[in-house]
Parts: sequence; C-alpha cells; structure tokens
Amino acid sequence: MYKLITYIIFILLTSKLLAQEKIDTINFKAFTVVDYAISENYTTTKIDSAAVASSENLSDLLQHQSTVFVKTYGAGSLASVSFRGTGASHTRVLWNDVEINSPMNGQIDFSLFPSFFFNSAELHHGASGLIDGNGALGGSVLINNFTPSYTSTAKPFSLSYHSAVGSFGKKTNGIKMAFNQKKDWFLETHIYHSIAENNFIYKNISQKNHPEEKLENGNYFQYGFQQAIFKKIKNNTLGLRFWYFNSDRNLASSMVVEDHQENQKDESFRTLLEWKGFTKKWSYKLSSSFIKDNLVYENKSIDLISNNESIFFSNALNTKYFINNSSLLINTFKVRYEYANADGVDGVNSRFNSSWLSGYTKNFKAIEVNIFNRMTIVSNYQNFIAPSISVGYTLPKIKTLLLKTSWGINYNYPTFNDLYWNPGGNPDLLPEKATMSEFGIKYILKQNKKITLSSEINYFYSLVDNWIMWQPTSSSIWSPTNLKKVENKGIETSLSLSKKMNQLQFSFKGKYAYTKSTNIELHQQINESLNKQLIYVPKHQFNYTMEIGLKNTQFTYNYRYTSLRYISTDNNWYLPANFISDIALSQKIKISGNTKLHLSFRVNNLFNQTYQSIAWRPMPLRNYLFNLIFQL
Amino acid sequence: MRLLLGYSILSLLLILFSCKKEEVGPQCKNCIENPIIPNSDSKILIVNEGNFGFGNASISLYNPTSNVLNNNVFQQVNTYPLGDVAQSGVLFENKLYIVVNNSGKIEVVNKDTYNSIATITGLISPRHMLPINSSKAYVSNIFSNQIQILNLSNNSISGGITTSSNWTEEMLLFNDTAYVCDMKNNNLLLINTTNDLLIDSVKMGVQPNSIVIDKNNKFWILCDGGFNTDFPKLIKFNPQTRTIEQTLIFTDINSSPSDLSIDGNKENLYFINYHVYKINCTDNVLPTSNWLSNNSQVFYSIGIDPYANNIYISDAKDFVQSSSILRYSENGVLLHSFQAGINAGQFLFLP
Repeated sequence: MYKLITYIIFILLTSKLLAQEKIDTINFKAFTVVDYAISENYTTTKIDSAAVASSENLSDLLQHQSTVFVKTYGAGSLASVSFRGTGASHTRVLWNDVEINSPMNGQIDFSLFPSFFFNSAELHHGASGLIDGNGALGGSVLINNFTPSYTSTAKPFSLSYHSAVGSFGKKTNGIKMAFNQKKDWFLETHIYHSIAENNFIYKNISQKNHPEEKLENGNYFQYGFQQAIFKKIKNNTLGLRFWYFNSDRNLASSMVVEDHQENQKDESFRTLLEWKGFTKKWSYKLSSSFIKDNLVYENKSIDLISNNESIFFSNALNTKYFINNSSLLINTFKVRYEYANADGVDGVNSRFNSSWLSGYTKNFKAIEVNIFNRMTIVSNYQNFIAPSISVGYTLPKIKTLLLKTSWGINYNYPTFNDLYWNPGGNPDLLPEKATMSEFGIKYILKQNKKITLSSEINYFYSLVDNWIMWQPTSSSIWSPTNLKKVENKGIETSLSLSKKMNQLQFSFKGKYAYTKSTNIELHQQINESLNKQLIYVPKHQFNYTMEIGLKNTQFTYNYRYTSLRYISTDNNWYLPANFISDIALSQKIKISGNTKLHLSFRVNNLFNQTYQSIAWRPMPLRNYLFNLIFQL
Repeated sequence: MRLLLGYSILSLLLILFSCKKEEVGPQCKNCIENPIIPNSDSKILIVNEGNFGFGNASISLYNPTSNVLNNNVFQQVNTYPLGDVAQSGVLFENKLYIVVNNSGKIEVVNKDTYNSIATITGLISPRHMLPINSSKAYVSNIFSNQIQILNLSNNSISGGITTSSNWTEEMLLFNDTAYVCDMKNNNLLLINTTNDLLIDSVKMGVQPNSIVIDKNNKFWILCDGGFNTDFPKLIKFNPQTRTIEQTLIFTDINSSPSDLSIDGNKENLYFINYHVYKINCTDNVLPTSNWLSNNSQVFYSIGIDPYANNIYISDAKDFVQSSSILRYSENGVLLHSFQAGINAGQFLFLP
C-alpha cells in the first residue's frame, strides 16, 4: 500500500504538468482528491497551462475557455463571473485552495488576476462547488500554481522573461525564476509589471451626431510579485507562497456620463503556508493563509474618497483516509476569521466562518459514488446539513462512456456589506440557498495516438431561494432583502478533438451553454419580472478555439458568441448579441540547448465588431498584442 | 479529415453569421409601438429616471383623451438616448428642460417636436431646475456646494451660489425669492433672485425633500426624516414672516414620506408614504387613513393634472422594469393604467 501511494503521488504530480487525461486507476482517483481534483461525476472545466499562458488575465481566460458569463466593463476594468444564471457573488474563487472572495461583497475582480501568476485553472460547476466551500451557488473557479515536482527530469534552474506590447499603450513585462534542487528545495519568483493607456477610439452613439471619441480615464498600472519556497522532508512538503499585487487604475465613465474622474487603487497581500504529506493510509494537508485587501475608491468630481480594508485569516486541515483500494474518507476543517473596516460600513466588523466538510467516496467496479456534507457556523448562522452527492456509471461495454449525476445544496451567507452597510444594511437577512442537480454523459475516444476526442453534455437544474437583492427603499436608501426565488436550468456541452496528421497537429475545443434563468417567485411583490429571464444572463453562449500547429508554428482562432442579455427585469430592454473573433500566430524558436524564444502575435476583435458587454460601456475595436517569451 | 472539413465549414458559417445586421447598445422592445406625431395633443409627459449607470432614462408621452402612449420619445426623435438618470423636468416658455442627473446635463427640448434645441453640460450632479426669468434659472445639486445659475439665453452655466449644503433638492419661486430644500443641513434656504445672494435659512425637519405652495400662499414642506434618523414631518411655512406655522409629525420613524404635490386649485395636497395620502390645506392633523392603498405596489411618484384634476401615480415595481402608471380621478376611481419607462419619477402637464 505504501508503495502504491508513492506511485500515485508521482502520477499525480506529473499529471498536473501533462495534459488532463482520464486515468482509470481507482487509487489514483482517490488520491487526486487530496489535491481537490474533483470526481468526474461532477461537471468541471479544466484549463491547462498552455491556455493560461496565452491569456492576459483570469477574465480574459474564462471568456475564451469557458461558458461562464464574464461581465466586464472593458479592458482592465471590473470583471465579474457568473455560472449557470447565478450572480457574481455566487462564484467562489480559490487560489491554491484558499478562498479569496472579499468578505465585503463576496466577489473578486477577475481583471486583477494576471495569468502570469498562476499555472492552471479549473471550474467546478453546480453541486461540486460545495467541496470548495460555502457560497458556490453557481460554481467555483480555482486557480493553482504548480506543485513542485522534485523529479529527476526537473530543470535545476529556469529563467524566463516575458514581454508584451499592444494597442492603446499596453506594455507588460515579467520575469519568472525557478530554482529546483531535485531532492528537497524549490524556489520560485514571479515579478510583473503592466501598464496600459486604454485610450481607444469609439463612436459615441449616446451623443448628438454620434461623434468619434477617445476613451478617457481608462488607463491602468499594475505590478506585483509572487515568491514560493518549498521544502520536501521525506513524505512531507512544507511550502510558503507570498503574493503581492498592486493596481492603480482610473475608471472610465460610461458613454452617457460626463467623465467623473474616478480612480480605484487595489492592493492585496496574500500569504499561504502549507504542510502536506502522507503516511501509509493517510494523507493530510495543513494550511494557513493570511489575506489582506485594500481598496481605495476616489471620485474627484464629487470629492469622495472611500477606504475599504478587509482581512481574512484562514486555517484548514484536510485529511484523507484510505479505507481500502476503493473507498476513501475525506475531512476538511476550516476556521476563517474575517474582518472588514470600510467607510461605508458601521464601525469595524469581524466574524468567524467555520466549516467541516466530510466526504466519502466509494468505487464499485463501474459505479463511483461520492457523498459530501458541509456543516457551517458563520457568526449567528448555523447550518449542519449541506450535502453534495454524485454517482457515475461507466458503461461496461463502452468503457469510455460515463453516465453521471449529481445533486447538492449550498448556502451563501450574507456579506458584511449586506449586513452592515450604512445606511441600508439589513442584519436580518437569511442565507441564500441553492439546490442543484444535474445529469450528463461524457464520452472519450482515444485511438492510437493520433486522434483524441472527448465530448460531454450535461443538463442542470437548480433553484436559488432567498436571493439577496439590493433595492431602493421608500426613502431612496438602498437596502438588501431576501427577495426572490430563481430557477436556473440549461445545458452545457463541450467537444474537444485533436488529431495528428504527419507534421500537422490540429485541435478543436468547442463549448456551448444554454441557460434559462427565471424569477419564479417574488417574496414581497408581484410584477412583470415573474417568469422572465434574469438581467445580464445570456441564454446562449458558444465559443470555440481551433489550433493548427506545424512543428514550432501555431495558428489559433478563437470565436465567441454571446446572445442578447436583458437589462430590464421585464425583458423590455436588452443588449444585442455579439460575436467576437480573435486570431493568434505563434512561433517557437530554439536558440541553443535550453534557450528558447517564443513569439506570438494576437489580433483581438478581428472583424472590428462594435459591441457593448455592459450597457453604454465602449469596447475596443480591432487591436493587437505582440508577445515575447525568452526562456533560459 | 472529414471532421476537419466539417469544422472548417461550421467556422466559416459562424464568421458569416457574425456579419449580420448592426444593432449596438441598449435596445427597447416597446419603445417603437406608436409613431410620434409632432404637435399632437398629447398633454402629459412622463420623465422616467431609468437606472443609475444603465443610461436608460427616457420620456413617455401620454394622451389622456385617446389613451395613446409613446415611449422613449427623446431617443426616437433625436437618435441618441436621453442619458443617465433623468431626475426631473420643467416646462418653461414653451421649452422643456430635462435634468439628467448622472449625465450632468440639462436637455433643452422643443415641447412640440421633442427635438433637442440645446444641451447644457458641465453640471456635476443636477437635481432640479427652477426658472427665475426668461434668461435665468437655478439648478440644485447633490455632491456640490453650489446652486448653479444658468443663462437661458445661451444655455450655459453663468455662475453659482455657494451654500453650506452639498445636497439641495426641490425649489420654489415666490415673489423675488427662491426657496431651496437643503437635504444636508435640514434647512430651507432663501435666495434673493435679483442679486443671487443667500439671504436666510430656516431650520426644517430632517431631510426636506419637497415643497409646494397653497392657495393662501403658505408653503408646505415634507421632511422624510432620513434613514431612521428622526420622525418625518409635514411643515406649513409662512414665507412673509419666515416662520413655521404648523408642524405635523408622523408617528412611524421608519416611514419616509415623499413627493408632496398639490392639485390645480392649490387646495389638496397629496404625498406618498407607502400609500397615497391626501390632506387639505386647512387641516391641522395628518390623515389617519390613506387616500389610496398601494395593494403591494411600489408607489414611486405622484403627479396631479391641474387641468383635469386627475391623479397620476407611478408604480416602480422592482425598479429595473417599466413602471406602471395609474391614472385616478379625484374621487379615487381608476381611469386607466399603462406602462411608461423605467422608474417614472415626474409628470409634466402641458397646457
């Protein structure tokens, strides 16, 4: 057994570096849970390091590689993400398993996560989000750094310089360094700097005679660094990762508004300390993280400055007990201290957010069952039952066909803003509750080494009750209430195909999502929004990436379609659908030995589409990005 | 290879598909149902605030005789949208002045054709406009300590009156004095309109939000009490003596009455406090029962047609959809109801 586990760890660690493949070893599956690799019975979207590396930031990455809805105010501006018709605060985001959503509003700004700082991403849709944490009523987004491999093939030292120059004054520079002493030490440093003017020209259709205008006040400046130190001690690894990020940006006003001279400064300190290891039958991970976010918003036109500070200190113990070759017991204890001090919130607020996730997975030949439950205490809220169950059945005759289903409940606890914002905060709010279910089929075909095909179709159905909405009260003060019940249902499909023909490598990855998200019950009133599609939830989303590679040259085409989004709850107003295409051409040049040069040129919005992602927010027309990576 | 070909064709189709019709920016489904007829006898104009940041403020026109309705009139006529948050509007010397708060502008509109004649820009966060004479008007503000002075001859900002308040609301002109509701310091500010100087301020209740004048030349000022700060008050003020003659105090601190309006005879006052209440200008107690129950609608604004004495009430519902407009007779009989724009906040009755 001991040997087996060591072997498994080897596979696990290397497999993270390789393409995502289905491996049929039961024990492997069991062990992958240690690193939160979620059972295939759930719907997941895995984004590999190549896709991460070719994107600019998390918002850009998810727009290209998934069918979650990314609501963005434009390049460098606030971007939020929602799954399956839920809201932005229903998406949990985890960095190396640590939840980083702000305790103030339950969200993160996806534009503040340059892809430079992480290596892979994974989306957990629906009921699988419970395994990551509370509040994932739609799903969760995981961004991860590579786990050090300590294998004999690892390069002892690597250095790369990244530089990008693009339209509208975009300049990005970065350095990555890694030191890998094969037996025990691993050090990694990332340094990043990015600047953009974002002063693109657009036709202002909201003004008399539709003048061409230059976007004002859209410039940003970002820098940061990340440092990792890992040490292997026998079967244990002790690791420390520190990530500092600073962003200073002006906020462009919408077309219909005269420039307000708004500015936002964000600063984040993220520290993560973890110790993981295994014994004969156990594997464990003890982690402690300290995250501090500062946000300063300034509106010069009305002399307003708002300071917001939030801190959380989170400790988690994650254990796996391998009962036998086919069953596994999982326990995760998490205690999180949340603190916020903001100008808009009365006084200083803090609370403990503790939960215990217990799970059991069992494999019966062709059937795999996962059962989880999360117990939670968040200040005055207590909840002992929040389950997530999944069952998968691999067809005995066609081994590559998996039938799967899952069901679960998850709660989202009100944020500090919801509870204590002054004026308007409502301390009597109930947690939002989602009941999620889905079933689907996954098919993988692997013929010799030339063709790989995988396709998946899932139907999901979920109910979100006690949905918290902010609305003006009679005194025109906005206040949140548990307003409505929403039904989300739809289909998510994906198809990926890769084929090798002599020197030519072809791949296609397509995804389509249909989301019907409707108000089915209004707790206080009856109005025209009943049974209508929620605002800013597109019914159809489709995207695909096509890659053609020849030796060291690669051509990439990405297309994405977003159907119309309603912007009034009675579905009278809408933003029209948009179709955006990007292309990229990249070339790898081997200079000598390990010295490589990777050049790429990307054209965004190839067909010069004029569109708005959010009402009256201009988006850039065709624009260019030139990328250089020099690797030593 | 066949698959490859298939995908190439599919991709090509999608690219072609993407070159379809051009429709950019917010679109409205019910806005073009009825063609706009210039110089029509549509007498009622509804200013719809829209949503903050959504840029969907609009103007609706309603003909009470034929019940014909036009929505999104401004955008249809001018081919650009009205802007972000149309706070209020005023008819003055045959021109409509629409105050667009978050766009920081006032659109000057021809009252017959709805064409924009001029756009007064550079205002920070305008709330209401008070015409003083043919060449001058005042603009109240939130987030600014200035009451801006407009030159109506060339439609520009000609100056400002500095106050200690960064939130001024409704205003009223009586003789040579402008009376301004000061929401920040809970005052009624008095401005001499000849020399534009602040001459006095009188303490009101917490947050005076609306002001009307009755047939006896007494002012009625409604103070909403803030967010659970104080009990709301309805104050009767004598402008001649600059004294408060009567203060009626609401019993519920959580309530927040608004939108004080007066009928054509300047005799009956109406306001919203969840429901609609009516009070006579000779009354010295607050009404104990409502004039019109909201029946779980969200009453947002009230307007009284001074010619037909019909009462118009808007129901903003969830604030992110078209408001319903309820038209009542003065006896409380529902005459008609229809859908205007989002957050219908003000009614203008054109003669």
